[in-house]
Amino acid sequence: MVGTGRKKSIAFFISLGVGLTIVIILLYVGWVLLGWHTGILLFLGIVLLALIIAGVVLNTIFLVREIRRNEQHDAFINAVTHELKTPVASIRLYVETLKTRAVEEAKRDEFYGIILSDSDRLLGTIEQILRTGRVGSSSRKPHLAPMQLDELVGECVARARILHGVPPESLQYKPGPPLPIQGDYDEVHAAVSNLIDNAIKYSGNEVGIEVVACQSDGRFAEVRVKDRGAGIPGPELKRIFKRFYRVHGPGAMRVKGTGLGLYIVRSVAKRHGGRAWAESGGPGQGSTFTLQFPIAK
Amino acid sequence: MSRVLVVEDEQHLAEGLRFNLEAEGYQVAVVDTGEAALDLLNGPAFDIVVLDVMLPGKSGFEVVSEMRRTGQFVPTLILTARGHSDDVLQGFAAGADDYLTKPFDLTILIARIQGLLRRREWLRGAHSETPPSIPPQRNDVFTFGDKSVYFELLELRVRDQVFPLTLMEMNVLRYLIRHEGKPVSRKSMLEEVWGLHEDTDTRAIDNFIVRLRRYIEEDPTKPRHLLAVRGVGYRFIGNPPSG
Repeated sequence: MVGTGRKKSIAFFISLGVGLTIVIILLYVGWVLLGWHTGILLFLGIVLLALIIAGVVLNTIFLVREIRRNEQHDAFINAVTHELKTPVASIRLYVETLKTRAVEEAKRDEFYGIILSDSDRLLGTIEQILRTGRVGSSSRKPHLAPMQLDELVGECVARARILHGVPPESLQYKPGPPLPIQGDYDEVHAAVSNLIDNAIKYSGNEVGIEVVACQSDGRFAEVRVKDRGAGIPGPELKRIFKRFYRVHGPGAMRVKGTGLGLYIVRSVAKRHGGRAWAESGGPGQGSTFTLQFPIAK
Repeated sequence: MSRVLVVEDEQHLAEGLRFNLEAEGYQVAVVDTGEAALDLLNGPAFDIVVLDVMLPGKSGFEVVSEMRRTGQFVPTLILTARGHSDDVLQGFAAGADDYLTKPFDLTILIARIQGLLRRREWLRGAHSETPPSIPPQRNDVFTFGDKSVYFELLELRVRDQVFPLTLMEMNVLRYLIRHEGKPVSRKSMLEEVWGLHEDTDTRAIDNFIVRLRRYIEEDPTKPRHLLAVRGVGYRFIGNPPSG
């Protein structure tokens, strides 16, 4: 999934480099052959020099971008290592404890519960990684079928309330009119759930989330998830949708994740002909995420 | 009872560790940030720290290097999901004593904790056992003149006055008392007390002697107990001839 895009861009920049070298050689050869035509030479020289400079600038941009991507990739590997190994470590610890020690009945039940929730967490991370591969590849088309977005949002909200133990007054959802769309149920479900999970994760101890599903412009079905949590600095609003990207800083450091969630959201939106974006007043001001799909006629 | 500080922000792991370490008979404190750990370490002493790396705020590496920088030398075991050799090296470079990767084997974790605690015990009291030729001083009080050295309490009592000594001061004094009457070279003190074998500057020892004289000599400028032996080092005399 990462490989093909990178290979293409690397091939492009290698050919750019080769092209530029040829241009330089031509320039020298031209200098010798066309020595007497000063005017033509001057013109050619200026054009080719401009090309070379443009090429060098492009190459530099590419390099910087590649280095950044590498850094993000490292951070991603660390995060995924953590997200995969921590629940395994916990499951293993509790199984070993149950196996080797005399544990009283009530504690035993508590430990079973912890093992179960850690295996769910592990599964969640694995699914997130696999889904990233699926939604990122253009060869795998979504399985579109008629569905009701408002109902699906209701299911996602119900799931999140149970999963995170959030009371309905902290995670509110007012279903609006029916919103028929053509969508891949699994993908849309994952995208909406990711937005709600994020809102809870970044809210800290005081969860206050409003989920709205409504029409927009009569052409789009829209899901809005509004929280009163950590908020997002202006320059980060677009970047957070990039793969592996995670906001740095004291607020976000406390939240663990792989940097895949919003990438999945945006990819799913694009695959359905819709879009996804974020708005926020800044750090501490909460944020609103919007996900749009074309309404089915 | 040994006191263990567990620094772990994953609640399930932290509670599982607490349960098992308490079952092993340790007294356990759990905190979920490095900052909280550093605060807690300023209070009553811990015997060992079990430290996660990927913590909110300060990382485990930063925590352990800050501990060492501020003179906090409690044995520290890093317990983390990061198992790359670069990470392990970074952990030791920061000042960790041991490194174990998650997922871990519970029995191995406990064995390593016991190993670190054992070493701490040896370092604390066991220089006494190093030179086997001399009978080990089992009772932990040594009295000379009107002065008593309480090795375990790190205290020197002169009549009704109490002087607290540092661990190193006590170790130097213990070594000298053990060799009472005989000259002890600076080099052997460095090797036996500090465990150093390279050519370290031996004058550090002179500073310790100056400090010890202030406690045990009536007149530190005219020592009677801690005598310099020219060209060699020092000699301890418990009951000097009067006059």
